[in-house]
Amino acid sequence: MRTIFHLDMDAFFVSVERILNPELKNKPVIIGGNPHGRGVVAACSYEARKFGLHSAMPIRIAFKLCPQGIYLHGHYDEYVRYSKAAKNILMKYAPVIEQASIDEFYMDFTGCEHLYGSYTQLAEKLQHEINSSLRLPCSIGVASNKTLAKIASDYKKPNGITYVPPGEEKNFLADLPVQVIPGVGKVTLKSLNQKGIYYVKDITALPQEYFSLAYGKYGIDLWQKANGEGTEYLTVEREQKSISHETTFLNDVLSIKQIEETLFNLAAKLSQSLKVNNWIASTVSLKLRYSDFNTLTRAKTITHTDDPAVIFNTSKTLFQKSYTRRVAVRLVGIRLTNFLINSEQLFLFDDIIVKRSKALNAINKIRSKYGYSSIHFGIITN
Amino acid sequence: MTKTKYYIGTAGWKYDDWIGSFYPKKENAAFNWLQYYAQYFNCVEVNSTYYAYMSERVVNSWIRKTGKLDDFKFTIKLHQDFTHKRCYNKENINAFYFILDMLQKAERLGGLLIQFPQSFKFDESSAAYISRLRELFSGYKIFIEIRHGSFHSNEAIDFFKSASLNCITIDQPQIGCAISFKPLVINKSLYIRLHGRNKEAWFKGFDRIGKEQTAEERSARYDYLYLPGELIEITQQIKSAAENVEEVFVITNNHLHGNAIANALQLINILEERKINIPPITLMAYPHLEELHI
Repeated sequence: MRTIFHLDMDAFFVSVERILNPELKNKPVIIGGNPHGRGVVAACSYEARKFGLHSAMPIRIAFKLCPQGIYLHGHYDEYVRYSKAAKNILMKYAPVIEQASIDEFYMDFTGCEHLYGSYTQLAEKLQHEINSSLRLPCSIGVASNKTLAKIASDYKKPNGITYVPPGEEKNFLADLPVQVIPGVGKVTLKSLNQKGIYYVKDITALPQEYFSLAYGKYGIDLWQKANGEGTEYLTVEREQKSISHETTFLNDVLSIKQIEETLFNLAAKLSQSLKVNNWIASTVSLKLRYSDFNTLTRAKTITHTDDPAVIFNTSKTLFQKSYTRRVAVRLVGIRLTNFLINSEQLFLFDDIIVKRSKALNAINKIRSKYGYSSIHFGIITN
Repeated sequence: MTKTKYYIGTAGWKYDDWIGSFYPKKENAAFNWLQYYAQYFNCVEVNSTYYAYMSERVVNSWIRKTGKLDDFKFTIKLHQDFTHKRCYNKENINAFYFILDMLQKAERLGGLLIQFPQSFKFDESSAAYISRLRELFSGYKIFIEIRHGSFHSNEAIDFFKSASLNCITIDQPQIGCAISFKPLVINKSLYIRLHGRNKEAWFKGFDRIGKEQTAEERSARYDYLYLPGELIEITQQIKSAAENVEEVFVITNNHLHGNAIANALQLINILEERKINIPPITLMAYPHLEELHI
C-alpha cells in the first residue's frame, strides 16, 4: 500500500495576483483578460465562484454573471516562478514528485510516516512552509493512490488537509457526489443522474459489468475509481510532448489570406520555440475552429525540422484540405509533436539546407538578443 | 551547518528620488540621510569611492552616524584608477588604505568591492593583475565582480580559490551572452548584486556604446522593480548556496524611485524569515509591502 500526497495550490493565479496587489483580497477576481473579449476564464477567486463562475467559462458569460468582478490579464511568468518555487520547497521533503500542472503536485511519501510523526503532521508541515515562504494557500490530500489523493485535496478547500487512512477508501467516497471523481464531466453526470446515480455509493452498489456495458472501458475505470482504486505510481520528469500556438480572431474571419497570414506568424513563433530548446519536430497538426464552434484537427508527419517555412507550408496545406465549409473561422492553431534533439550533422550533406539553417540560426541569435519582434519573415506575394 | 549572517542593503543611500518613497519629504536641519537609512538596513555599498578618494571628515561622519548601531557594515567599491583605468600610484594606494583602515578600525568594514569592466577577460595577464591587487589589499576581505563569461571557467574558479578571493554574483537583464544568475560560493562568502532586469534600457545603452551617456541614460538601466516571484526565485538560490556560508551580502542596485529600498526590504523579509519595520512613506509608495510590515 502506498501513501500518495496531492498538493493543490488554492486559487493559484488569484493568490499570486493578491501578492502583487493586496487590494484584490476578498474581492471577486477573474483572470482571463478582457471581459468583453472572446477568451475564457483561466482562474477565478472563491468570491467570484459564488456568482457561478468557474474556469474555462467564456469570459463574456462570466461578465454577465459578475459584472462587478475585477478582470485581469494575469502575470503568467510570475505564476511559473511561484510554481517552481513551490516545487523546490516540496523537493526538499518528497522522495518522488510529479508535477501534474502548474499548481498541482503528487508526492509519494510511502514509508516516511515515522520521520514526521504522522502523515497529517507532514502535510501540515508542507502546507505551513508553502504558506510562510511563498504566502500562498494550498490544500493537501493524502491517500493510497493518486485519484483518491486528488479527490481528498479537493475535499476541504481552501487550506484543507484530508487524510484517507488505508482501508477507508470506499467509506470516504461513499457519500460524495459522483462529480468528485476526476473525469466525470457534464455529459457523464447527466447520463449517470438519468440512471439514478447521484452519489459514489450508487456506483459501488452496482456490479462493474453494468458500467462496462453502459460506458465501455471508461465505465470500468469509473467503477474502479468509485471503489477507491487508482494509480499508485507517479510519473516522474514528464517530458514535454508538444508545443503549440493558436490565435482566436477578434472577429470571425472568412478571408483565406488573413488565416494563412496568421498561420505564417504562428509557424514563425513555433520555429523560435523549437530553436530555443534545440529541438526538431516531425508532426505538424492544424487546429481549425469555425464560428459555430465546430472544431477539427488534421496532422501530417514530415521530415524532422525547425524551419518556419516548412512548418508554415505544411500547416497551410492542412488548412487548405480542411477548410471545406463556407463558414467563418474563429480560431486557428498549430501544434508540433514528435521531437528530436537537433543535430546539425543530420543535414550536413545538403548544401541548401545548411545555408538556410545557418540563416535561421542567425535570426534566432538576433531574436535572443533583441527580442522576438526584432526581425520578421516576409511572404512573397505574386 | 553554519548560521548564516545576512547583510542586506542598497548601493548608495543618498538619492533625491527616494524622497517621498523612503526619506520623509520635510526634513529638519538635524536630519541625516545615512542615520535614517541605517535604522532599516544593516549594510550599504559605497559607490562614491569609485569616483573619488574620500576625506577623513567624510569617512568619520559615516562612522559617527552609524556609531550607535551594533552591527552595520559598509562595503567599499575600489576606485576606478585601479580597475578601469588601471593606472595608479603610491598616493592613490595610500588614499584608499586610509578609507579602508578607518572603517576596519571602527569595525564597520564589510569588504572591498573590486569591479572590473565588461571587457575584462580571464587570461594569464588578468589573473596576474588581480593577484597584484590582492597583494596590495591583502589586509581586507575582497569581493571581485567580473562580468565576462570567461571567468565562469573551472580555471578561473580554481584561481579565485587559491587566491582566497570571493566572487560577486550579479543579476542583470538576460540579453545575449549575459551571465545568468547563479550564486557562486568560492571561499565561504557570498556577495550578491541585483542590477534589475530592465532589458529595454540596457538595449538603448548598447546603441550608445562609445558615446558619452547622460546620467539619465545611465540611471535608466536601473529603473526596475523586481516582482515578488523574481525575488523568491533569487532567494531560493541564495539560501541553497548559503548553507555553509558565514556571511552573505545582498545589495540592490535598482535605485530609481526607491525600488532598491522596496526590494531590499522584501529580501530581508524572505531571507531572514521575519516581519520588518517599514517606514509609512514606503508603505504608501509600495502597498504590496504591507503584509511584511511588523
